[in-house]
Amino acid sequence: MSIAPLAGPLPRASRDALGGAVLLVALILFIAAPLVGVLLWAFAEQWRPPAALPTQWGFKYWYMLLARADVQQSFPLSLTLASIVTALSAVICLPAAYALARLDFPGRRLILLSFITAHAFPRFPLYVSIAVIFLSLGLIGTAPAVVAVQLVFSMLYMIWIPTAAFRGVDRRLEEAARDVGASHLTVLVRITLPQVAPAIGAALLLTFMNAFYEVEGALLVGIPDIRTLPIVMLSLITGQMIVQYGAVLSAMLWVPSLILLIFARRMFDSRTFAAGVTT
Amino acid sequence: MTAAALADSGTPGASGARGVRARRRALLRAALLVAPALAMVAIFIVVPAVMSMGGTFFVGGKPSLANYQDFFGNPQSVQNLRFTVGVTLISVGILLVAGLTIALYLRFSHTRLVGAIQILALFPLFVPSIVASFALIRFLGPAGWVPTLLRLVGITAYQTPYLHASGAVIGLVWQELPMTVLMLMAGLAQVSNRSIEAARDCGAGSTTIFVHIVLPQIFRSVVVAGCIGFLDIIGSFTVPYILGPAAPQMMSIYMQRSFSELHRAAASETQATVTFLVCILVGAIYTAFVFRDSVDNAELAK
Repeated sequence: MSIAPLAGPLPRASRDALGGAVLLVALILFIAAPLVGVLLWAFAEQWRPPAALPTQWGFKYWYMLLARADVQQSFPLSLTLASIVTALSAVICLPAAYALARLDFPGRRLILLSFITAHAFPRFPLYVSIAVIFLSLGLIGTAPAVVAVQLVFSMLYMIWIPTAAFRGVDRRLEEAARDVGASHLTVLVRITLPQVAPAIGAALLLTFMNAFYEVEGALLVGIPDIRTLPIVMLSLITGQMIVQYGAVLSAMLWVPSLILLIFARRMFDSRTFAAGVTT
Repeated sequence: MTAAALADSGTPGASGARGVRARRRALLRAALLVAPALAMVAIFIVVPAVMSMGGTFFVGGKPSLANYQDFFGNPQSVQNLRFTVGVTLISVGILLVAGLTIALYLRFSHTRLVGAIQILALFPLFVPSIVASFALIRFLGPAGWVPTLLRLVGITAYQTPYLHASGAVIGLVWQELPMTVLMLMAGLAQVSNRSIEAARDCGAGSTTIFVHIVLPQIFRSVVVAGCIGFLDIIGSFTVPYILGPAAPQMMSIYMQRSFSELHRAAASETQATVTFLVCILVGAIYTAFVFRDSVDNAELAK
């Protein structure tokens, strides 16, 4: 985002800095501190209440957690399901994103409207409606049911972010390539796709991440037979077992998110991301 | 000239049979591209929602209000519904105030803190709700970091929000803050510096400028941010499930229990339908506003 400087007299600047400092401290306390706490817990072998920090550090609970059968089974399952969801979502949504951004056809607005309306439904009640249908079809507790439910809400990322990106493509480059004799396919692969690649990459990552960490749908239509990693974590948290298990899982689950964050830093600055997420 | 370009021009310029055929081909191509996504929406959103809404008004194949008599005759259901709406409205109110404060600072300040504030405010976008909920238990819970640190400085009167309504509100605000900030930032990006400078030159103070210059220009963004916050929160499950109280419950948790634990599918569907109905107005406002914006964007892109 570009911050255009506002011409103002100097005294405003110090007030500005003070306000910013207050805001920053508040955000550090509210957003960052709980996450730092989890990281500390993940490496704490002993941390009893009177102590401000862990009294004994180590990886003991990492080994214990990774040795658990439920974790060993659910981790590859979650990876597989999230990969399937991401691939299906790309195949289904990217063509639609291209059409919505680039083609003008009768009914385009109606289709746009239907995609927007789809997001005006609250999420969990909709999962329940889907689950009731799956129940009558005998699909509860199956992998396809989990994939289907997770797919529905990945559309938010896979349609809007690429649509905004396709809209931003410089058409003069495409026309120039076509003028010198490039075919449709060549133009798409060599000119159009490279321009939208970062946005599509971000959409793929966001979709993967959301499917991987998804709790609601997996809980409703997956259990008892399909137990993804977040569902295992949910039972470890609510079961009030060893605190470190939840912490280690959080730290582990989080690595892909951090990679995404670093990748997406560029996206934060681009209007594409904001436009994709907000419309 | 490509079929797409022909369709784009969309004028009778390309007259005759060739033009008609090209347009038809363009339409077919667009339909093929959009069809899979549209089918997804139809099969997994429209059909289930309509079936739930319609189905709950029938019992044993006959039209009946029995499901709703059960729901509204049960004090627990009604209490859960009120609790859900209350928690949602309070969270949205906090989100709008906090989000506006942050977004305004990011838009109009030019200190070096802007980058750090932006990263922190958007960070929860990349933290899964289950990790966030666990982090908040370890932070604010009865044996969490906050009470531990407070005890070290002699404060023992701490009351944990964990498993209370306030715990759900804190978690939901934590999770939803980036969305609100992003949307308000997008709105504020449209506000012109010139109008603000002009007002300041006329001697207007910050409050006057905010109320009379900035707010009218970002009104739509504020409404959309509020609607999205409302829909996301009322449709959330994980955060209130982990951080909120056991009774009363958010509707999502109530539904999950009815469906998975009590095996009362019809009851859970009724609860879902009641929640849909609560959201209809908000959803309609959201759809109308976002639809107009995206049509405007599409026109601008041409």
